[in-house]
Amino acid sequence: MAGLIQAQDATSDRAEIVHVLNRITFGPRPGDVEKVEQMGLRNYIEQQLHPESIDDSAVEKDVARFELLQMSPQQLSQLFLEDTKRFIKKQKEKQAADAGQTGQGAQAVTSEATPPAGGGTMNLINQASQWRSVAAIGQLEQAKLVRAVDSQRQLQEVLVDFWGNHFNVDVKKGPDRVYKIIDDRDVIRPHIWGSFRDLLEASAKSPAMLFYLDNASNTVQRDMTPLEQEMREMYFQKTLGIADPENTTQPGEPMKTKKQGGINENYAREIMELHTLGVDGGYTQQDVQEVARCFTGWTINRMAGEFIFRPRLHDNGAKVVLGHEIPAGGGIQDGETVLDILCASPATAHHIALEMCQRFVSDNPPPSLVERIAGVFQATNGNLSQVTEAILTSPEFLSPSDYGNKIKSPLEFAVSAVRASDSTLIAQQPPPFDKLVPAMEGGGVMGRGQVADRISHRPRQSLNWHILELGEPLFACTPPTGYKEVSSTWVSPGALIERLNFAMALTGQELSDVVFDPQRILDGIDVDHPEDVLNRCVTTLLQNNITDATRKVLEKTALPAPGESQTVNPSKLIALMIGSPEFQRK
Amino acid sequence: MNINRRIFLKQGALSFICLGSGPFWGPGFLRQAAFAADLGSSMSNKILICIFQRGAVDGLSMVVPYGDPFYYQNRQEISVGAPSQAAGDAGALDLDGYFGLHPAMAPLLPLYKQGHLAAIQACGSPNASRSHFDSQDLMESGVDEDKSVQEGWLNRLLGCCPEDAAKKTAFRAVSMTSVVPRSLQGPEDSLAIRDLDTFGLAGDSSTLLAGPTGTTDGFESMYGSAVDTVLHGTARESFDALDLLKQARTAHSQPSNGAVYPQGNFGRNLKQIAQLIKANVGVQVAFAEVDGWDTHANQGGAKGQLATRLGSFAQGLAALHQDLGDRMADVVVVTMSEFGRAVHQNGNRGTDHGHGTCFFALGGSVKGGKVYGDWPTLSPDKLFQDRDLAVTTDFRDVFGEICAKHFGVPMSAMPQLFPHYAVDAQRFRNFYTA
Repeated sequence: MAGLIQAQDATSDRAEIVHVLNRITFGPRPGDVEKVEQMGLRNYIEQQLHPESIDDSAVEKDVARFELLQMSPQQLSQLFLEDTKRFIKKQKEKQAADAGQTGQGAQAVTSEATPPAGGGTMNLINQASQWRSVAAIGQLEQAKLVRAVDSQRQLQEVLVDFWGNHFNVDVKKGPDRVYKIIDDRDVIRPHIWGSFRDLLEASAKSPAMLFYLDNASNTVQRDMTPLEQEMREMYFQKTLGIADPENTTQPGEPMKTKKQGGINENYAREIMELHTLGVDGGYTQQDVQEVARCFTGWTINRMAGEFIFRPRLHDNGAKVVLGHEIPAGGGIQDGETVLDILCASPATAHHIALEMCQRFVSDNPPPSLVERIAGVFQATNGNLSQVTEAILTSPEFLSPSDYGNKIKSPLEFAVSAVRASDSTLIAQQPPPFDKLVPAMEGGGVMGRGQVADRISHRPRQSLNWHILELGEPLFACTPPTGYKEVSSTWVSPGALIERLNFAMALTGQELSDVVFDPQRILDGIDVDHPEDVLNRCVTTLLQNNITDATRKVLEKTALPAPGESQTVNPSKLIALMIGSPEFQRK
Repeated sequence: MNINRRIFLKQGALSFICLGSGPFWGPGFLRQAAFAADLGSSMSNKILICIFQRGAVDGLSMVVPYGDPFYYQNRQEISVGAPSQAAGDAGALDLDGYFGLHPAMAPLLPLYKQGHLAAIQACGSPNASRSHFDSQDLMESGVDEDKSVQEGWLNRLLGCCPEDAAKKTAFRAVSMTSVVPRSLQGPEDSLAIRDLDTFGLAGDSSTLLAGPTGTTDGFESMYGSAVDTVLHGTARESFDALDLLKQARTAHSQPSNGAVYPQGNFGRNLKQIAQLIKANVGVQVAFAEVDGWDTHANQGGAKGQLATRLGSFAQGLAALHQDLGDRMADVVVVTMSEFGRAVHQNGNRGTDHGHGTCFFALGGSVKGGKVYGDWPTLSPDKLFQDRDLAVTTDFRDVFGEICAKHFGVPMSAMPQLFPHYAVDAQRFRNFYTA
């Protein structure tokens, strides 16, 4: 990195190790560099590429305490359904109490547990806020942080973060707060070392994704059953309070059959744009519609919390996707064929290679590298172990010109600060969810920003809350893009202020779930020798990557002025380092 | 030097000068008065507020073409009824005998009738990717296709006003977002502030920030001294302005004229933009965004999810107008969205990605009370790609008109502002007076 001065004793090997640790872990802990030095960098990367060879039982035991994360899909789905029922019941009670306001209940049922917002309904939401299932989000977030901070399988956790972000699901959307548990545990984690085709299929069948991008309600247009017709009448008469405009039936006549359903293009578009081909991957609007037809009937069994294919909802006509003819009558096979087509496309190989290189190498990775990695993707049928290994063993990955060339995301920044200062995360079982969470804009039950402190699963001053304040609420990116891999997007004056606030909160021991003790990194150092304190901190926290400007500031802070006696305040020194320009980079 | 690093340090320096400020400067009111006078005398006081409706808002629901029979044919379950006694408050609010405002947007009706609010219907970009993310980036860059254009059109607008730049303050371009939006990215300085109330450093941090020997140590100088001399000068200037923020915060924390903003981030963002404008800290361009418009399922009609959001959106704009009062004479608010939604409802009483949508312009110099633009109709043969509302007003002709008439940008500078597009005054819709 330009402008950085390597300390005299730092060998280039050490700089290389620091670089690798910055990229494939959530930042080095004290002692990590020495550990890697001892075992050899290649061996370390090799080990991280084979997480099964690393004992991580302590962390898994820690995470096992989160009871919701252990629940079956059925249990989780039931948990949400019970909450929904409770909400509707409360709403009906409310209506009964409110004379003159009849028939509003049906709307809440159709709008999928998104409580209506607005002044008049706030009281209602007040009463109906016993959303136990929201605790699921707290447990998910806590478990992610425990693993990021403490797992020995650091590369695995980085990859889970990457792929979870690639297949972004926003837990603010209705039942996705419970479905995301299944998605993280059974969809993302088991597939990050396998074939991309398997990962993509798992995601296509993940209740979280099916609900988030609306494929769960993507159906062929078909004749309504009598029951559906009845429900439609109810919707118009009771919910909207108007006559069905399509109803041409005269009183006394038998009801005419109406059409129901139709395609929803949301998932079809995003699976091509975001998950596989990329926006320039050569698909057309016609392809979006055809892919949507192929995925009709791919939906959720709401009782079981599982994927189900419902043939009755599937469009069985012939389709053409990206020039491939898909004959009529294919049933569930239509969607599978689409997955095959997408995975085999060179555009997908390129898109995945580019994103992974942006995560691990640089915001603008060399095109030749991206092409080579895309080649590995194609040659191995999207074997993600081999693709990952190809990146991490490429000369470009180790290029010194890219050392410190990426800005840490808020998650990376906060977790790397906890790790670098050898702090301890005391993962808490989030309290049961029993407080008001207003339905803010965005429609979810989870407010963001100014209501964060009122969300009991994310208490103020928790590590989690700080990451939200830093701009990266976990599992809660609203658009399906996920957070951008291009790290410069995290740079802004406001964001920097939040980072300094975090540095001060951490070292000021204000975090509710992180124990910071400066002695842990100053073990064996005499605090009466400020220069030793300074040097230890620079080595441990900044890995000796420090500019003259920063060093001067730190010296002024740490070292007594001539003729003065001054004792050094290590916490202050550490805060300055965590807030320094150097620490924002990786 | 790496570009990212440069931006980081530059913007970092900007933000750092607000640290530990208070005690080192003279009485606030003096400085504020001097500052305001300074700005008033030498700087254009025209202000543009851009509001991005992220997620592709359904323009057909905002400004309902109730006079178009194809609207009702395509939107059987999610349409808004024509204005009529029978429809009551479920019907559209008539604008001109053909279009009606969504009933949830009633707070904007008086502004339309008083001539402050104009709608530009069937507006958008010719780009047909229907990708939210691409389309937002392109629209914010002021182009329709060329992804190599990285700077935002607002940033280029700032660069087109050198005489203003000479007197610029740190608040010249402010975005109420946690990161700088694409519209404002580029060489001109801008400030992203998620929340004015919490912007600044928490707690008793002054010694840590300032260091033991005053403001020249600590965080500030760690970043500040890493910046070259030109930027250092900018930083110094900005220090003043950021200190002014503190005064602004307390002096104008309550909305004026009885304005009531809606709950939520959007309402707060607009309220804080008004706060900054009222505090005379030199705002020229302000940016806010509001999401939740990607209504693929159950969007509702006169009531429902979209109606709820439109209600909050309209209430926010109306409150901003009321809060700014006389200042609206110098202000133009323009709303935009990356594209609209398909004309035909989808299988889930929602709408998939479409093409043309509706923009709004609000302000003292806006010739409101009119729905601008050629209405292509929703007749099947007039639809874009057989499914979407066609675009008859290019978004750059809307932006261009504001640049030209509000800020006095010469037409000769338009190619810089909007590369690859020939902004032509002949195509202006003339929603702006003079």
